[in-house]
Amino acid sequence: MKDPLVTLSGIVKRFGDFTAVHRLDLEIAAGEFIAIMGPSGCGKTTTLRMIAGLEAPTEGQLRIGGRLMNDVPVHERDTPMVWQSLALFPFLNTRENVEFGLRMRGIGTAERRRRAVEWLERLEIREFAERSIDTLSGGQRQRVALARSLVTEPQILLLDEPLSALDAHLVIRMQGVLTRLQRELGITFVYVTHSQSEAFAMADRIVIMSGGRIVQTGRPREIYRTPECRFVAEFVGRNNILEGISRGDAIETPLGVFPAANLPAAGRRAILVIAADLVELSRTGSEGSIPCSLISEEFVGATVTLFLEAADGTELKVQLPERALGDLDLHAGGRFHLSWPDDVGHVLAEN
Amino acid sequence: MNRFALAFRLPIIVWQGLFFLGPLFFMIAMSFFLVKNYRMEEAFELKNWARMLTRGYVWDSYWYTLGMASLTTAAAAMLAFPAAWVLAFRVSEGVRRWAIFLLIIPFFTSYLVRTFSWYVILAESGVINAGLGAAALGPYTMLNTPFGTVVGYLTLTLPLVVILQTVSLANIDQNLVQAARNLGCPPARALFAVTLPLAKTGLIVAALFCFILSFGDFVAPYYLGGSKPPTLPILIVDTTKSGQQWPRAAVVAVMMMTTLFAIAATAIWLAYRKRVSA
Amino acid sequence: MSARITTALLLSWLLAVFIFIFAPIVASVVFSFNSDRFPTIPLGSFTTRWYDMIFADVEIGEAARNSILVSLSTSVIATMLGFATAYTDYRYRFPLKGPYLALILLPPTIPLIIMALAMLAWLSWIGASGQLWSIIVAHSVLTAPFAMAIIRLRLNQIDPNLEAAAWNLGSTEWKALRSVIMPFCRPAIVSAACLTAAISFDEFAVAWFVSGLNKTVPVIILEIVQGNIDPQVNAIGSLVFLTSISLVVIAQVFFISRVGRA
Repeated sequence: MKDPLVTLSGIVKRFGDFTAVHRLDLEIAAGEFIAIMGPSGCGKTTTLRMIAGLEAPTEGQLRIGGRLMNDVPVHERDTPMVWQSLALFPFLNTRENVEFGLRMRGIGTAERRRRAVEWLERLEIREFAERSIDTLSGGQRQRVALARSLVTEPQILLLDEPLSALDAHLVIRMQGVLTRLQRELGITFVYVTHSQSEAFAMADRIVIMSGGRIVQTGRPREIYRTPECRFVAEFVGRNNILEGISRGDAIETPLGVFPAANLPAAGRRAILVIAADLVELSRTGSEGSIPCSLISEEFVGATVTLFLEAADGTELKVQLPERALGDLDLHAGGRFHLSWPDDVGHVLAEN
Repeated sequence: MNRFALAFRLPIIVWQGLFFLGPLFFMIAMSFFLVKNYRMEEAFELKNWARMLTRGYVWDSYWYTLGMASLTTAAAAMLAFPAAWVLAFRVSEGVRRWAIFLLIIPFFTSYLVRTFSWYVILAESGVINAGLGAAALGPYTMLNTPFGTVVGYLTLTLPLVVILQTVSLANIDQNLVQAARNLGCPPARALFAVTLPLAKTGLIVAALFCFILSFGDFVAPYYLGGSKPPTLPILIVDTTKSGQQWPRAAVVAVMMMTTLFAIAATAIWLAYRKRVSA
Repeated sequence: MSARITTALLLSWLLAVFIFIFAPIVASVVFSFNSDRFPTIPLGSFTTRWYDMIFADVEIGEAARNSILVSLSTSVIATMLGFATAYTDYRYRFPLKGPYLALILLPPTIPLIIMALAMLAWLSWIGASGQLWSIIVAHSVLTAPFAMAIIRLRLNQIDPNLEAAAWNLGSTEWKALRSVIMPFCRPAIVSAACLTAAISFDEFAVAWFVSGLNKTVPVIILEIVQGNIDPQVNAIGSLVFLTSISLVVIAQVFFISRVGRA
């Protein structure tokens, strides 16, 4: 990794008796698009707010560009943020909103206007410059918020679930805008989200948090294919999770014995993770296949997820392209057989 | 705490301490002061208290004021309720807004001038008796009676009571009333079993404000009630303005505050009390 | 059928309540143009005599100037007090916040006559009674809670991130207050200023007690009423009403309509 732009070392944040962040260590490189992801209450937004200076770490050191930032007040940091609520100033028009950061830095009117207009053009909202904020659409407001944050040409942009209020089709558009901007500007984006699709679509690197701790860091595909713990396996993607006991070269589960690599010593407990899109479904059984009955299905565009139940009550999932369904009769209670190739299972040591 | 936060807190505490708490505590202290040769002297004597609490006329005033304020509170609550009910449930949102706006207007007309109007209207040869006279009735004596006092009190309090009652009724979740009706509750019963309990807090607060305002008003009982007998606020005015006996006035004021405090505490307890058993 | 009769009866009741409330207001305006010294039915002839009298009266002119000075100063101080407490309540949590808020919110629950006596006694004791600014100080305490309530309601509508967004874009706390919180609250600040001015302009009990020789308009009315029946009171009352109601209408335009919309 290049020299880190942001370094969090041993960061702890407590609110009264509640510990929001436990001894967090993280380095963020210059020019990196990093996504911090996790369920609500995992400490991701608190971490972002500490980088911005809106919360002070209880313990640990926060450095930006090598400088210790713990005691630098928020307004001296130049770590602009795109807020979940956007937090546009309703009493200012579009251009005045974009100029705000420049005005606070005491930059003259003409220069302010020139730079604001430049950014309005760049984000294709020049025509709305003199319009009141509440006449703009969701997507346009999103662009105003971006322009307002970027106009001071910061080294880092913080984004706190900025797309969560947008319609699905606009989210895709804005993802394109964000990745293009980040590449062109070459600055660091720290993107907090609970949405897997947003994080995986844009980030170079993903940090998964749970309960105030980082549980895994890696490239999107690593996270997706090789979760390092049960939490990540459940939180990311659609995985089947089978608990069992290692036999050295295979794992014994209530559904049968499956060969697998990287198992702990024989006799130890382990977890077998099989991604739902790698499971094969057939009407007729073969050796080692698991008989199941269909409980329900979920269509998301071209992908279908089937939820099935094995004889002992274990719930299993299969993800298929819609066209692969063919003339399968999908009624609840329908009988199917599941199987998967020996090499697709991913083993986690249970702790 | 930083200087910024302090800049908003400290001046308020100092200002309100000097000009709100200061006067109130000084007044309480003053009720123990002495007046010698028309000059007030710092002291801690119970003389003023002993004197005021043993005078029959003070207690006459006390019970009269308490009675009149209670009567007005009951009258205002009952007069206002049907009006508030109509405004809350039988007219459109727009009409209700306008009605409340109209009801705010009296607060910005001089209460003194309104009282003076009533004086002219209620007089022996005033508008009402002239009208009644044309119908060969009257004349009736309305000024310098308890009736006059209550008219004055109501002039002061009725708009506020209607507003507060309307707002608290309008905020009721109508689904609850409809649910009761749907379960076979007749309309009149739904009023007592559902509507009134739901609006309870607002109705009690309205009554409390009505009581406080009537209890503390010296204009109506003086000009329309003829000060027969004087109410406690009239005692305060007279004792302060003509007698220079500020400590004695302070005794009356402390009596009033104690009474109001007890009544407000009871009212708030009633308003926020949770029903334990059905 | 009976439901309609009930509704009709209730509407008549409502009308009667409104008539009772507005009768004295309408009557005072009508009487102010009526030639009789003691108005009754049938009314006398139309006259502007009472208005001519008050405009010619030096003492009333002086009182009007005092009233304007008092209500304008009161409105500035009360609005500042109200803004500071509303903002503190909105932004901070701290021990003893309850008593702090009670300190500013309680004055309206204490009868004016008691406040009047307490203010008179205290201000005399510290040697500050009988001045115009004694009234201003007292009125600021009495009206600040109304300013606080209006501005606090407006702050309820603010996006809690708005101020943080300003800091994040480089504003100090003071700059953010000036460039974000105050512009956002502007309609409420204008309304609060108007309402506190209007209340101060009408208040007579405290003003009467602490004013000494510096009488305001309501104090003059009180003194006239104490003397005899004088329709000048109606003329003054109508003019005061006109002033106050203009302030209320401005407040309404600036605030109530916006709160309604948001």
